[in-house]
Amino acid sequence: MTDRSMPRTLRSSRTALVSLAGVGLLGTLAGCAGGAEAEESGTGSSTGADSAGARSYADGTYEADGSYRSPGGQQTVTVSITLADDTVTAVTVTPHATDPNAKQFQGQFAGAIADQVVGRDIDSLNVSRVAGSSLTSSGFNDAVEQIKADAAE
Amino acid sequence: MPPSERRFSAIGAPWRIDTEEPLDDAGFERVLALVEEFDRAYSRFRDDSLVARLARDGGTVDFPEDAEPMFALYAALYRATDGALTPLVGASLEQLGYDPAYRLTPRWPALPSPAWDDRLRVEGSRVTAAEPVLLDVGAAGKGALVDLVSAELRAVGVGGATVDASGDLLHTAPEPLRVALEHPYDSSLAIGVVEVSGAICASAANRRAWADGLHHVLDGRTGLPVREVAATWVLSETALEADGLATALFLTDPERLLGDFDFRWVRMFTDGSADYSDDLPGEVFAA
Repeated sequence: MTDRSMPRTLRSSRTALVSLAGVGLLGTLAGCAGGAEAEESGTGSSTGADSAGARSYADGTYEADGSYRSPGGQQTVTVSITLADDTVTAVTVTPHATDPNAKQFQGQFAGAIADQVVGRDIDSLNVSRVAGSSLTSSGFNDAVEQIKADAAE
Repeated sequence: MPPSERRFSAIGAPWRIDTEEPLDDAGFERVLALVEEFDRAYSRFRDDSLVARLARDGGTVDFPEDAEPMFALYAALYRATDGALTPLVGASLEQLGYDPAYRLTPRWPALPSPAWDDRLRVEGSRVTAAEPVLLDVGAAGKGALVDLVSAELRAVGVGGATVDASGDLLHTAPEPLRVALEHPYDSSLAIGVVEVSGAICASAANRRAWADGLHHVLDGRTGLPVREVAATWVLSETALEADGLATALFLTDPERLLGDFDFRWVRMFTDGSADYSDDLPGEVFAA
């Protein structure tokens, strides 16, 4: 990202909403987050513990100012969200950086975004190591296998 | 290929140490003794550990002196995540079934972790708890041990080394190490590749998962597993810091941490999207 003052359009609603939670707008947008979660198709991390009920919102574009506390002080951003059928279809975050320090932190906050990562075959990458989640002990793995076996009966 | 490679299993994970100079048996014994001492202090899976004593009796426990930076990191990350990352998550994990007996059957409702200020006083490496309390150093403990092992290798005269504890790695040899970022849903794939000098730690919810939606990365405020984030990677100077920050990125956004810590990061969400540092020394593969 070369120009940090430009608005960024984040097409991935999931990424944007998670980021928004960090800028203190969760209260305002909690309903949207619930809607988005309902849309989420489980890729291995779903849980039955969610108690969010079905809600409905009018289609359209909503805009709100939000603030968050950074090491450089209180910062503000304008967030614009487009809703269609209770799903967030577009999010734009415009930072209002007031001093160079804050601008730096908001730039770091924005980071870079991949709407969808693509897996490549590790064998094709010529790497020395792979960084993934810890391999687990046999005790843990055995117990999981046992539970799966019990559940299948 | 470095001339010396040692493999062993410790604190529930496979380890591999590569050194530029051969690591002789005496040096390797010292490393293994260090690892055993760490396990005896912090494991919540053995009943003779200091953690087990604190859970049984409460009171004051003196952890090894090198615990101080780890406890200091926990305090900083507890503040930065508003209590979501906490060493008091042990009881919440056990409630969900991740206990020494590997019960792996949750009890409901989930149990939020107790507040630090109510339960725990930490002065350096000394921990005092008025009531019995179960600590869990899973968020940063392995990284801390990787740093200790690396320092021990220097002490026995084999400086340039790669200490790989499976998910937590510290590389001190001069040439950077090329490391793949393992796809959290398919271990034959990578979602990116980075050049590492120093530490890289990965955290993912996939392997220590035991039932529908249940895995080991919990939000201490709810006692429930984190759902939005699938995996994180942090590059930093020390494995302790990289390990703790990788867990913290499940629970807060990077900008809450960048003021206090110097690190590069990648975060992948459960919907398949990702965000990462502008200045990542590497690449994330995107559509």
